[in-house]
Amino acid sequence: MTVAPTGNMVKPVLSIKSTNALRQPSDGDNQGATHLSIEDFSVFYREFQAVKNVTMVVPSGRVTAIIGPSGCGKSTLLRAMNRMNDLIPGVRTTGRLCYLGVDIYGRECDPVEVRRRIGMVFQRPNPFPKSIFRNIAWAPRINGYRGDISNLVEHALRQAALWDEVKDKLDQSALALSGGQQQRLCIARAIAMQPDVLLMDEPCSALDPIATSHIEDLIDELKKQYTVVLVTHNMQQAARVSDRTAFMYMGELIEIDETRTIFTKPKKQQTEDYITGRFG
Amino acid sequence: MTVHFVNQLDELLLRSVRMGNLVEDMVQEAGEAVFEPGDRLARRVISRDFAVDDEEVKVESEVIRLMALYQPVGPDLRLLCTILKVNNDLERVADCAVNIAERACHLDAAKDLPGAETVRQMDPLVRRMLRDVLQAYSAQDGEAAKKIFTEEEMVDALYAQTVKTIVAEGADSSHEMASLLDMLSVAKNLERIGDFATNIAEDVVFLSTGDIVRHQSPPEES
Repeated sequence: MTVAPTGNMVKPVLSIKSTNALRQPSDGDNQGATHLSIEDFSVFYREFQAVKNVTMVVPSGRVTAIIGPSGCGKSTLLRAMNRMNDLIPGVRTTGRLCYLGVDIYGRECDPVEVRRRIGMVFQRPNPFPKSIFRNIAWAPRINGYRGDISNLVEHALRQAALWDEVKDKLDQSALALSGGQQQRLCIARAIAMQPDVLLMDEPCSALDPIATSHIEDLIDELKKQYTVVLVTHNMQQAARVSDRTAFMYMGELIEIDETRTIFTKPKKQQTEDYITGRFG
Repeated sequence: MTVHFVNQLDELLLRSVRMGNLVEDMVQEAGEAVFEPGDRLARRVISRDFAVDDEEVKVESEVIRLMALYQPVGPDLRLLCTILKVNNDLERVADCAVNIAERACHLDAAKDLPGAETVRQMDPLVRRMLRDVLQAYSAQDGEAAKKIFTEEEMVDALYAQTVKTIVAEGADSSHEMASLLDMLSVAKNLERIGDFATNIAEDVVFLSTGDIVRHQSPPEES
């Protein structure tokens, strides 16, 4: 077992908060604290309002799933949580989306630093066409990581439950891995940047049931150290892996509650109709 | 697929309610058999138990099949869980009816026995509880089911009175001990049927609201 890497990135200041204050929620004993706080938040694609005045919190150290039909705005909201929508022409936001109390859409906030602290894993595994080792090591290196990079790579791969499968072939191309392994590599790549929050946009939709099971087990482990927000079409998956579930419909947040409540006695009729398949 | 599933759920609930109606008939006939001469009714009750047992297994299999194939959530999950639990309770109510019927075969002069009077009061009360709770179950009406709770207390009180009467008067009466024990058994089985009706009512409340109300003090009446 490796020890947690001790090297530091060169961190631009996110905002007025100190670096120590920002890193505090990853200590693992802070369940219940709020990591992301979203207040009256909207996202527009030019005139179209994809996310409508959403207000919710993402508690630390827990898995929050966002479910809803296609086009409901769940992926847009997820991508807004680390400013991934910034690169899309015509996108604008209103309201506040705060990370540890700092509005990530504030003027002084660096989106690159936001994405370092709030990592993302996409629907389809997207490893770089490089070796397994370099896939993990690349981002920490260009961010000025000063510790033992081999230790960091091993730690990230272990946390992503991939180390035992790849430890003897770290120099091989990441593209030679299976789909499930590639996705766990992408999770390891995100972990290597030592984020606080992991955003996952349908991370299992391109995977078979066995690979999906690996990722779900991994999410359960990851929540001990990270806050996870998961967008999924698979309601059973949301029920299995998340602590809290948010249901969105046509850009609006209809209901958010403990997952067991959402899937046994939801308060809103729309939620009940959706989870039972009586929708539309 | 959803329409198909909903149709199957509806059919299963209907099937469970029909099984409840069969059990209800058995309880009624068992109660009548206690005070009726001869054992015609009692034998009829005993013979119908096989149909209930058979139906219980079929309903349970269907619940498991639907859970495995559709992985229901929310109210659908609650309905299947409720059907499974009610199914079990109904089978046990049928067993109680059979127990009463078996005692009835030996009770030719039940009406003169100590405790007969209170048993006569328990019988229609228990039958009404069963009828009302099955109607609430069929309608998935938690509020209607809650009305059963107070009736259970009345059944318990009557049972306690029956025991007291048999103990007090039994020793001095001219009746055989076996007959007294048969009457006591009838009362005990009626009381258990009341308990099962209450269990079903609790399950219907869960079905309706998602709240588990078992093992709680009854709400105080205002």
